[in-house]
Amino acid sequence: MKLALRELWRRPGRFAVATAILALIALLLMVLGGLLDGLVAGSTGALRAQRGQLIVYSSTSQESLVRSHITPSVRKEVEGVAGVSRVAGIGSVQLGARIDGHGPRDLVPVVLFGYELAPKGLPDAVPAYGEVYADDSLHAEGVKKGSTIRLGPARTPVRVIGFLQDSRYSGQGTLWGSLATWRSVLASNRPGERAGDGVDQALVVRVAGADAGGQASAIDRATSGATKTLTIPQAIDALPGVSQQQTVFNQIIGITVVIALVVVGLFFALITVERIGLYGVLKAVGASSGILFAGVLVQALVVTLIASAIGVAVSLALAAAIPSGSIPFVATPSRLLTSTAYLLIAALLGCAFSLRRVLKVDPAAAIGGEQ
Amino acid sequence: MFLALREIRRAKTRFALLVAAVALLVFLILTQQALQNGLITSFVGAIKRQSAAVLVFAVDGQRTLQGSVITPALQKAIESAPGVAEAGRIGQGTFTVVVGDAAKSNAALIGYEKSQLGGPDRLSAGRMPAAAGEAVGSAGDFSLGDRVRVVGPGKAVELRVVGLTDNAQIQVSPTLFVAWPDYVAATRAFNPDAKTVPPSVIGVRPVPGVSAGALTTQINKTSGDADALTRDQAAEKAPGVAAVRNSFNLIFLLFALVVPLVTGLFFLIITLQKARALTLLRAIGAPAGVLVRSLLVQALIIIGGGIAIGTLLFFPLSQAKVGKLSLSFDPAAVLFWAALLLTLGLLSALVAARRVLAIDPVQATTGGGAR
Amino acid sequence: MTTIATDLALQMERVSKIYSVGDAQVVALDHVDLTVDADEIIALVGPSGSGKTTLCSIAGGLLTPTDGSVIVGGQDISRYSPKQLTRFRRESVGFVFQTVNLVPFLTARENLLVVDEIGPRTGRRARDRADQLLDELGLTDRSSNLPAQLSGGERQRVAIGRALMNEPDLVLFDEPTSALDTQLGDQVVNLIRHEMKSRGTAAIIVTHDDRITHYADRVARIVDGRISDPGARDD
Repeated sequence: MKLALRELWRRPGRFAVATAILALIALLLMVLGGLLDGLVAGSTGALRAQRGQLIVYSSTSQESLVRSHITPSVRKEVEGVAGVSRVAGIGSVQLGARIDGHGPRDLVPVVLFGYELAPKGLPDAVPAYGEVYADDSLHAEGVKKGSTIRLGPARTPVRVIGFLQDSRYSGQGTLWGSLATWRSVLASNRPGERAGDGVDQALVVRVAGADAGGQASAIDRATSGATKTLTIPQAIDALPGVSQQQTVFNQIIGITVVIALVVVGLFFALITVERIGLYGVLKAVGASSGILFAGVLVQALVVTLIASAIGVAVSLALAAAIPSGSIPFVATPSRLLTSTAYLLIAALLGCAFSLRRVLKVDPAAAIGGEQ
Repeated sequence: MFLALREIRRAKTRFALLVAAVALLVFLILTQQALQNGLITSFVGAIKRQSAAVLVFAVDGQRTLQGSVITPALQKAIESAPGVAEAGRIGQGTFTVVVGDAAKSNAALIGYEKSQLGGPDRLSAGRMPAAAGEAVGSAGDFSLGDRVRVVGPGKAVELRVVGLTDNAQIQVSPTLFVAWPDYVAATRAFNPDAKTVPPSVIGVRPVPGVSAGALTTQINKTSGDADALTRDQAAEKAPGVAAVRNSFNLIFLLFALVVPLVTGLFFLIITLQKARALTLLRAIGAPAGVLVRSLLVQALIIIGGGIAIGTLLFFPLSQAKVGKLSLSFDPAAVLFWAALLLTLGLLSALVAARRVLAIDPVQATTGGGAR
Repeated sequence: MTTIATDLALQMERVSKIYSVGDAQVVALDHVDLTVDADEIIALVGPSGSGKTTLCSIAGGLLTPTDGSVIVGGQDISRYSPKQLTRFRRESVGFVFQTVNLVPFLTARENLLVVDEIGPRTGRRARDRADQLLDELGLTDRSSNLPAQLSGGERQRVAIGRALMNEPDLVLFDEPTSALDTQLGDQVVNLIRHEMKSRGTAAIIVTHDDRITHYADRVARIVDGRISDPGARDD
C-alpha cells in the first residue's frame, strides 16, 4: 500500500497525463450531469413547489397546463370526491416582462402563475390583486422587493412583494399572484386565450390518506372523463422533453463512464506491463499477487480522486462563471458526488483488466536468464 | 510500415482497447452533434421552412411564435414601413388533435394568410392546400391523406393532409401548415372564449432592391413594438437555441480535448516501454525518421480505425428517432470531426515522437537504455 | 507446516525438475542431492543451461520440484502451495538478483523496508533492523538516496541488506558480481562473506566468477542437471 502511494508521490509525472485525462472526463461527467440538472430544475420547479399531491388537467389538454381548461362545474365535481381535502385553482401565462433598468427591447421571459393554494416557501394568504411573489432567479435580472414589472404587450403592472426559491418553469423565472391577477393579465395580453370567470387552467388537489394514485382515478371517474388527473411526479414526467432529456443525457453519461473505464484500464494495463520486472522481484521476495494488485487499486483510486477533485473544482468555478441564462448549468453536491462515485467504480473495473497480468507474473523470472 | 504493423499485430489487445476508446468517443461526438442539430431543427425548423424572408414579431413575444401577438395597430405600422412590398399574417399555436383513429396527441398549427408569406417554401410530397380544410404536414409525423381533427371545448375542425415538407417542426411538435381561416377555426375549437384571433407574427416581402436585413432595420425604426428578424435570425435567436448551442459547444470542447490526450498518453507510454528496443534499432542503423514514421503510421491507423468504427456505430442510430427527435446523418459533420480528431491525434503522437528522436544509439552499448 | 529438527540450512534429496515444452519434456534437474550446512557458503558453478538457476529457484521456493524433497531451515517445502511458498520466501529466504532490481522510486532505507511492507507489518522493529543493517553495510549516510543516485557497489549492498531483512536461514545470490568491475566485485564478495559468516547464515552463490569460488567454503559443479562434483568443505 505504502509502496503504491510512494510511487505516486515520487513519480507524479508518470501519473499526470492519466490524471489530466480523468480530470477532463470527470469534468465532462459533471458538466453533462449539471446541464441535465439545470434543464430539469428550470422546467419543473413550479410543479415541485406545489403543496397538493395531485394536479387535475382537462382531458383535452394532453397534460399541458397552458392548454388545460377547468370549468366551474367540473371543479364542483372534483370538490365532491370523497377523500379530497382541498381543491385549488391554478393558471399560468408566459409573457415578456419589462423590468426597470432594461432597455426597451430587452424583455425578460417570465411565467405568471395564479394560485389559491400557496406553493412551498410562500405564506398561506394569497397576495392582493396586482401583487406577486417572484422566483429568486429574477434577482439576476434586477428585480427587487417593491419593483414594478410590466407584463406583456398590455404592460400590465404587477408589484413584487417577496421572493420564493426553485419555482422555475419552462426554463423561465416565475411570478406568483392571485387567480384574479392571472385572469386579468391573461385577458389583457392574450385575448385568444382568455379564461372566463371561475375558469381555471388546472386544479391542485390535496387528498387525505396515502393513496394519491387511487384518488386520481376517483376524480377522473367523478368528472366522467372530463379530467385527467396526475400525481405531481407524473405531471413532471409529462412535461414536454423532460423525460427525453433525462434519457438522452443519462445515455451519454453512461457511455462517458465506459470511456473512463477504458482509459483507466488502458493506463494501468500499460503501467502494469512496465512493472512486470519489478513485480517479479517483489514476488520473489515474498509479496503476494493480492498485495501487488491492491497497490494498483490504491493508485487508481488516488488518481481518480484527484481527478474528481479537479473536476469538482472546475465545475464549481464554471457554475460561478457562467452568466445566468446563457447555459442552464448547476453544480449540485449530489451530482458531483455521484459523478465521482461513477468514476471510482469505472476505475476499479478498469483496473480489473490488469489483475490477470499481475497474477501471471512469475517470480521465478526474477532469477537468471534461463528457461 | 513493417515495424508499425508488426507491433500492432503483436499487441492486439492493447491497440484494440485504444481503437475502441477512440471509436466510442467519435460515436459520442457524432451522436451529440446529431442531437444538437435535431434539437434545433425540431425547435425552430418550421421557421426556416416558412417562405417569408422577414418575420416581424411583437417585442413582447421574445422571438417565439407562440408568445408573440400582433395588435392591429402594430400590423398597420408594419404594413406602412418603407421597403415593405407585401405583408401577411402568420399565426401559430399548439393544439390537441386526433389523427385518423389514433389517440389524442399534440400538433402545432401554423396559419398563413398568403402562401408566399408563411407557407412552406418547398414540399417533399403532395401539393399545397387549395381548398379549406387542407394542410401540409411535417414529414415523418404525417402521411398524405391523413385526417386530422383539432379537438377542444369548441367546435372541432377537420383537416386533411395534402402535402408534406421536411424539417418543418416547431416546438418539437408535429406541425401542420394551414390557411388562415382554418387556423382561426382551430383556435376557436380550442378556446371558445377567444373573441378575436390576432396573428403571431407578420411575414414581410421587401421591395426589389432592399435586402431582408435592411428591411428589418427599417421596420424596427418604424415601431418600438416591432421586432423584425430575417428568417435565419428568427431561427437562430429563438430562445433556447443559443443555450442549446452553448451547452453542446462546452461538451464538444471537452470531448475534443479528451481524444488527443488519450491517444497521446497511449503512444507516450508505449514509446517509453519500448525505449530499449528503439535504442537497439537506432544502434543497428535505423534512421530516427523511420521510427517516427512508424509511430505516426500507428497513430493514423488507430485514430482512423476509431473514426471508421465510431461512424459505423453512429450510422444506424442516425436513422432513428430519440424520443420525438429525428436524427440525421450529416456527412459534413462527420468529415469535420474526422479531420479535427485525426489532426489532434497525430499532433499528440508527436510528443512521443520527440522521445524517439531524443534516443541516443550509444546507450545500446552502455546499457543506459535499460533504465 | 511441519518443522524438522536439523542443523542443515538446505537439504535437497533426489530433486528432479522436468519442463514440458510442447510435446517434448526437458529435464532441467535430474535427481540432484545437495546439502548446505547452517553457516556454509557454497558457490554453484556450471555452464549456462546446466540447471543452476533452476536449482537455485527450487531452493528459494520460486519453483516446485517435479520430484524429490527440499528442506530449507527445517521446513519441507517440496509440496507447498503457491501461497505457502510466497510466505516461505517472505519469511525464510533472502534473494540477491543479477540485475540489481531495487525499487527505483524508493530510497535505500525504504527498499529494505519493502520486505516488511509486503508482509504482516512489524513497524518499529523493522525500522530498527533496517537502520542496523544500513549501518553494518556502511550505507547510513546514503540511506535516503534513490537507487539512481547510488553507485553499482552501493546498490548491490542495498540488495544484500534487503535479502537479510527477514533474518533468513538461507540467502541465494544470482550472479552478484556480473555487473561490477573487478575491484567492486571483490569488495562485494568480501562483504557477502563477512555478512554471512558473522550471522551464521548459509548462502548459495550462483556464479561464473572465479573470484567468488575462492571466498566460498565449497564449490559445487553442475552439468546437464546433475551435480558433477559436490565439492569439499575446505575448512
